[in-house]
Amino acid sequence: MNHEIKVLSGYRLMWILVMFDLPTDTKPQRKAAGKFRNFLLDEGFERSQFSVYARFVNGKEAFQTRVNRISRHLPDSGDVQILNFTDRQYRDIVHFSDQGRRKARKNPEQLVMF
Amino acid sequence: MDQIIDIATDGRHLSRDRGFLKVSENSAEVGRTPLDQIAGVIVHAHGTTWTTSLLTELADRGVPVVLCTANHAPKSVLMPLDGHHGQGARMRAQWQAKTPFIKQAWKQVVTAKVLMQAAALDSIGEPDAPLKMMIRKITSGDTTNIEAQAARHYWPRMMGPDFRRDTGAGEENALLNYGYTVLRAATARAVVAAGLHPTIGLFHSNRSNAFALADDLMEPFRPLVDCAVRNIVVTRGAEVDTAAKQALARLIATDLPLGEGVTPVSVAVMKLATSLGQSFEEGRLALALPNTPGPLTLAGLGA
Repeated sequence: MNHEIKVLSGYRLMWILVMFDLPTDTKPQRKAAGKFRNFLLDEGFERSQFSVYARFVNGKEAFQTRVNRISRHLPDSGDVQILNFTDRQYRDIVHFSDQGRRKARKNPEQLVMF
Repeated sequence: MDQIIDIATDGRHLSRDRGFLKVSENSAEVGRTPLDQIAGVIVHAHGTTWTTSLLTELADRGVPVVLCTANHAPKSVLMPLDGHHGQGARMRAQWQAKTPFIKQAWKQVVTAKVLMQAAALDSIGEPDAPLKMMIRKITSGDTTNIEAQAARHYWPRMMGPDFRRDTGAGEENALLNYGYTVLRAATARAVVAAGLHPTIGLFHSNRSNAFALADDLMEPFRPLVDCAVRNIVVTRGAEVDTAAKQALARLIATDLPLGEGVTPVSVAVMKLATSLGQSFEEGRLALALPNTPGPLTLAGLGA
């Protein structure tokens, strides 16, 4: 376990969180919002809440790359905010769901078994 | 992070859902992983099904899909046909490389491998002197086959006097198969991403092996798997279980000294393949071979 932490710290693990408010009054606006959502999914972002998407990145440079890519796919109107967290901070998120406290999220492992 | 996806349960279905690889069973989702994060997909289980759209997406990212036999030995690898923007020129340079050039490259690879083997023996308190002596005798193209001579000295000390390397056998051999499969997947991906053709090898070229170049370039990294397998066998026994697989897959994140800093194995193989591609094109050999990590790192592998 100790070894794993030492190995992974070299990656400067980070999380990127995208929050957005997009107008959905007209049909083209709804279409643009859907397109942006699908773009985030294609990029490997997972939905953590409505209009809040999160993804794991490998470090500062990878974070910047993601931000650049998102900036090229923005819808015409609406607000998009992008945050980044260290791995540690992300793990410490307090999550309540239906009055109960949820367990902390597990970080991705090097091996995923199915 | 580079992740290895291991399909070990029978009857799973793999498909693509937007930017994710989705794993389902009886049309219920079991799990998903972002496609960009995948370094390799290793399939052992029977009855696994997949969609073509998933396979093309994986190919798009240069992710190898490895199909294995019961003993975790790889049987088939699915790789993209093109992986690099300058691939045509690279492959031509690779194909037209002169024999002395290739033999020099192979000498450097064997030297790096024997050095790594020596470091592995050193980390378990076995004498590494004979290996270090042999390094001086490696000729261009390793015509005197020091690689095999080193192996004869290396294996009994690493795995015990009764050990025989046999890809069809179980226990240690199956663990080694699994570790090498992970390494081979990472290397095959690096080779294709560097615009090189995996079938045209340096040394393994005369064997009937479609991934000769990947096998050549993974040689210096093999002792890392050996160390990990040894540690796993000593601490938990010689069984290919989830913990052992996880420990072996974690190898690709091990930091190795390379150039002026440290680089995880998955990046080190990428740098090696890229440096070989550039060497072919420039006609000047400058391989980015990894240095040996410290004995503590080696002793901690597989833990």
